[in-house]
Amino acid sequence: MAGIELVNVQKSYVVEKRNVQVLSGISLQVPEESITVILGKSGCGKTTLLRLVGELEQPDGGEIRYGAVHKTAFVFQEPRLMPWLNVTDNICFGLKKQALDSLEIQSIIYTVGLEGFERAYPFQLSGGMQQRVSIARALAYQPTFIMMDEPFAALDYFTREQMQRELLRVQKSQGASILFVTHSIDEALLLGHKIVIIEEGLIKAEFDLPKSEKLPNLLDEEFIEWKRNIIQNLNVHI
Amino acid sequence: MPALCLAVLFFLWHVICKMEIVSAYVLPSPKKVWESFWKMAVSGEAFWDMIISLGRVLKGFAIAFVLAFLLGMLRTMAPASGQFYEYLVQFFRNVPPLSLIPLLILWCGIGETTKTVIIVLASFFPMYLNIVKGFTDCDKKLLEVGDVFGYSRTKQFVKIMLPYASADILVGMRIGLGYSWRAIIGAEMVAASSGLGHMILFAQQMSRTDKVIVGILIIGFVGYVTDWVFGWMIKKLLKGSCKNGWN
Ligand SMILES: Nc1ncnc2c1ncn2[C@@H]1O[C@H](COP(=O)(O)OP(=O)(O)O)[C@@H](O)[C@H]1O
Ligand SMILES: [Mg+2]
Repeated sequence: MAGIELVNVQKSYVVEKRNVQVLSGISLQVPEESITVILGKSGCGKTTLLRLVGELEQPDGGEIRYGAVHKTAFVFQEPRLMPWLNVTDNICFGLKKQALDSLEIQSIIYTVGLEGFERAYPFQLSGGMQQRVSIARALAYQPTFIMMDEPFAALDYFTREQMQRELLRVQKSQGASILFVTHSIDEALLLGHKIVIIEEGLIKAEFDLPKSEKLPNLLDEEFIEWKRNIIQNLNVHI
Repeated sequence: MPALCLAVLFFLWHVICKMEIVSAYVLPSPKKVWESFWKMAVSGEAFWDMIISLGRVLKGFAIAFVLAFLLGMLRTMAPASGQFYEYLVQFFRNVPPLSLIPLLILWCGIGETTKTVIIVLASFFPMYLNIVKGFTDCDKKLLEVGDVFGYSRTKQFVKIMLPYASADILVGMRIGLGYSWRAIIGAEMVAASSGLGHMILFAQQMSRTDKVIVGILIIGFVGYVTDWVFGWMIKKLLKGSCKNGWN
């Protein structure tokens, strides 16, 4: 199977002269054309893992093998918009001049629900709106591989659900591969074809979920069973 | 309010002259100053001196800006190069340009070169320091956005670092312009046969205190106006995004 393969990847940081091992040997397959979700508590190293895959940082040990050549986009945990550009220009930030398709951009703006704010500057937007601009910036790039770091965490329930639906649609229609980081079990179950649980720098468990055509219903028996399973693995008590 | 302050000043000036507290030679009356201003304005002599001074400032300022920008850019793109000239920059930053006049006259005569060098020296440092600050302060998180979109170093510079630094660069230019205006007047008093600085020194030698005062008023006024115009341009250029000060 092509895709991205992580082999015994390690990473540590030096914090106040102390060596902090964040990832202590992650081996993982990120398959093509599906959504892989990294799930874990805050501070467990999810962002670090994503940054390693995105080549924003180098691993201390191990190896990351890239199968196919991809057009990659990255949605950071924070919006990271250019303060001097308005919404439209921020969305087009990754595009070359000749790749600009204003109809396409307009439809993306509509998708993320920012119509009417095209000329607004980041400081005029709420946190959730800024995050949606940053998601739109990634989508406009028309990537075949998308890395997303808790992209919907700052959104309200309704917008989040709409964006999750949209992400599934984009993934299906373009056959993109997605590596998605979240701390929400529901979100992981809703989106993931494969769920990887990380704890203390190691992979605690992996689940391959059956792909279904329709969006899973969070109240289904089957769904609840999965959730119970994951919660047991996470050692959390509700 | 500003008008009121000016009115009070003029009134005091007028009263002091009327009561003849000081001799008319030391402090000519506002009327006398106004008359000589009018005469100089009509004959165009003040105007040409002003143009000459302004021209020198613009020339030196432009050279200084290009130098500051290139060196600032070099230091940002290749930080190792900074170690090469940083201490020199810090040394000359602490040398008032006017103190170099004797040397410069010796080397370059009292021609235009001396004055250009003085202005370059006066305006280079505030611009250089602000440009370096603007570039090196650039948010790493925004640079990473360029990284993930596969930007080259050049594109990164043009699309992220330059706009990010633009506020600092413009502020540096504004300060540099003010400095060079001050420096040129000084330089013209020592080594020139034209320009506003020369004009007031020459007027003093001719015992024309009224002309000296006219000259000072013009210098202050021109400096004020150029600074105001520059501030206005900064506001226009950074519209929308300046309010949040980038953060
Ligand atoms: N640049 C860094 N320097 C030092 N420590 C870091 C750095 N980035 C992350 N860490 C540490 O690594 C751990 C995991 O961080 P992170 O990957 O951001 O967690 P998560 O995204 O799962 O919340 C944290 O303890 C954090 O303090
Ligand atoms: Mg994180």
